[in-house]
Amino acid sequence: MRKIETTLTTLLRDIGAFYEAKKWHFLSVNGIDLGEGKIELQWIFSQYGVKDEVVIYYALSDYETPVPSIVTLIPSAFMGEREIVDMFGLSVDGAESGLYLDKDSLAHPLRGES
Amino acid sequence: MKKTIQIPLGSQHISLLEPIRFKFECENEKIIGVDADVGFVHRGVELACTRSFEFKQVGYVVARVCGLCAITHSLSYTLAVEKLLGYVANDRIKYLRMLMVELDRIHSHMLCLAHTAENAGFEALFMQIMGDRELIMDVQEAISGNRVQFDYISIGGVNRDLTPELVAMIHKNLGVLTSKIDALIGLFDNNWSLSLKYKGVGVLRLEDAYTYNALGPLARAAGLATDVRAETSDFPYEDIGYKMILESSGDIHARNFLRLREIVNSITMCQNIVNNLPVGEIQEKAKGKPNGEAVVRVEAPRGELFYLVRGSGQNMLDRVRIKTPTFSAIPAMIEVFKGAEYADAPAILASFDPCMSCTAK
Amino acid sequence: MKFFTPFRKKSPWVLHYNAGSCNGCDIEILASLAPKYDLERFGVINTGNPKQSDIFLVTGPVTYRSRERLVELYSQIPEPKVVVAVGSCTATGGVFRGMYNVEDGIDRYIPVDVYVPGCAASPQLIIDALVKGLEVLEAKSKEIEKPFKLFGAIETIHNKLSRLNMATKVEPHAKD
Repeated sequence: MRKIETTLTTLLRDIGAFYEAKKWHFLSVNGIDLGEGKIELQWIFSQYGVKDEVVIYYALSDYETPVPSIVTLIPSAFMGEREIVDMFGLSVDGAESGLYLDKDSLAHPLRGES
Repeated sequence: MKKTIQIPLGSQHISLLEPIRFKFECENEKIIGVDADVGFVHRGVELACTRSFEFKQVGYVVARVCGLCAITHSLSYTLAVEKLLGYVANDRIKYLRMLMVELDRIHSHMLCLAHTAENAGFEALFMQIMGDRELIMDVQEAISGNRVQFDYISIGGVNRDLTPELVAMIHKNLGVLTSKIDALIGLFDNNWSLSLKYKGVGVLRLEDAYTYNALGPLARAAGLATDVRAETSDFPYEDIGYKMILESSGDIHARNFLRLREIVNSITMCQNIVNNLPVGEIQEKAKGKPNGEAVVRVEAPRGELFYLVRGSGQNMLDRVRIKTPTFSAIPAMIEVFKGAEYADAPAILASFDPCMSCTAK
Repeated sequence: MKFFTPFRKKSPWVLHYNAGSCNGCDIEILASLAPKYDLERFGVINTGNPKQSDIFLVTGPVTYRSRERLVELYSQIPEPKVVVAVGSCTATGGVFRGMYNVEDGIDRYIPVDVYVPGCAASPQLIIDALVKGLEVLEAKSKEIEKPFKLFGAIETIHNKLSRLNMATKVEPHAKD
């Protein structure tokens, strides 16, 4: 497992330079609540045909900052982005809420102390 | 005038085991747009894993994410926690865990084949495959005590050992199953009405498999060589006769055929495991509290299952991230539906072997 | 309707709905329909149409999004009908009890006649429960049974009972 730090502003450039469709398998978008309104966002990749090669791009952010969408680079990322919109109450452009949660469900359940 | 019509499928439908709703945008019989609603079974397991249960209990909770691949869920979670505890299981534990995972793969693939046959209108074949599947269910029940939710794997080992009677039973049942699978391979390849329903229907092209990050049998049937069993070193899969199986045409027939060939490979692996079982304890002490971050990938019957576990030396974990195979496969599924006939939709859907309980968690 | 009762007993049709279970009970229901356990020897057929069903097999603890569908399906089944709740989580919520998107058991929404314990419920128990359900079915009359929650009015349109509005939509409310 390799972890590479990035920021939300340089995310599209970093992943655009890194990602090749025939080499990397995009796993998922992930969020981890760090407490005090902070969140760690992760974009996780694995390499085809190579043992134990997992690359995680991560960025530290807060809940107010909008997250850029990587759907233009990786079309299958929309599911993961819709999931973090629901689970953390983030805003990602182009991703609507309501993948899992209903009108009367607990809002952004994975945000700390919710 | 609007040229297209919308036809819904689900959330309750005879061809669906689980609730999922598709909205097909159809032009005459052709599907041109698909909208999927997958959240019907969202329960909130990820939050409960960090709030309601201690890390020693979570292995049994995540097994309830999905009944079909329960063993891979508890295995991935256990592996992640063992990595954080700095514990490496001995060879006997590894072999017993692999045995259950491969048995689970056999029964899950057979259920999918039966279901695809039923959705193509071949009721008798459904009954036949479901009947043969009981051979594996009996073995699983004898080994673990349960038919579906095994709760076989615990942190530091496995909960039950193999006895000589069990080994004899495994050999007997797997031997019977081998001949039945051989007959099924002939049937799926040569039966005329099955080929009408399956061949050239629901094609996923190799480029699309790369673009939409297909995985598991869906990707391998399109010729994309990806299998977590070959891409991780947690288990000695090469030693027990693992072969990667690939098809090239990417249609329903290829997916079914790939599953049949994987069953044959899994039977060989199970026999090798039982024949070469190392000696050792089945339960060892794994001490401490999980601290740090670990990722684990395990090949579930439907593809890659991914766990990310983060702990900070407490009894409660900070984060358990579950990324399930069907969740990642949905973009590719939507792509396959476009351009297909509406009448084929149930058979195509069953051939993906979707698991909504996994997807929604 | 005495005339149809013996026939219904010999051939009860089953409607299966997954209201948020882990899939384990669902595959056991399939297994009990398959040759080894062979539920079909009791005349049971798995049907997808609520309007032709007699027995409603429900699995799962009822997630938020499946509430309306569950009540809707229940109210579409004609009387007499029997609800069989398969699995521990249908009775109490089981391992999912207290999770934020779960309603802790289907008897908060519809009346249940037979509970099947087990996680996952074994096919033998499911068969037992269906046979038990047949006894309950025989004793029931054509009186209309109503869901407990999400329950709208039964109207009379052109001198006929209409169930169109029997299930209502979920409005935002606090969890009880």
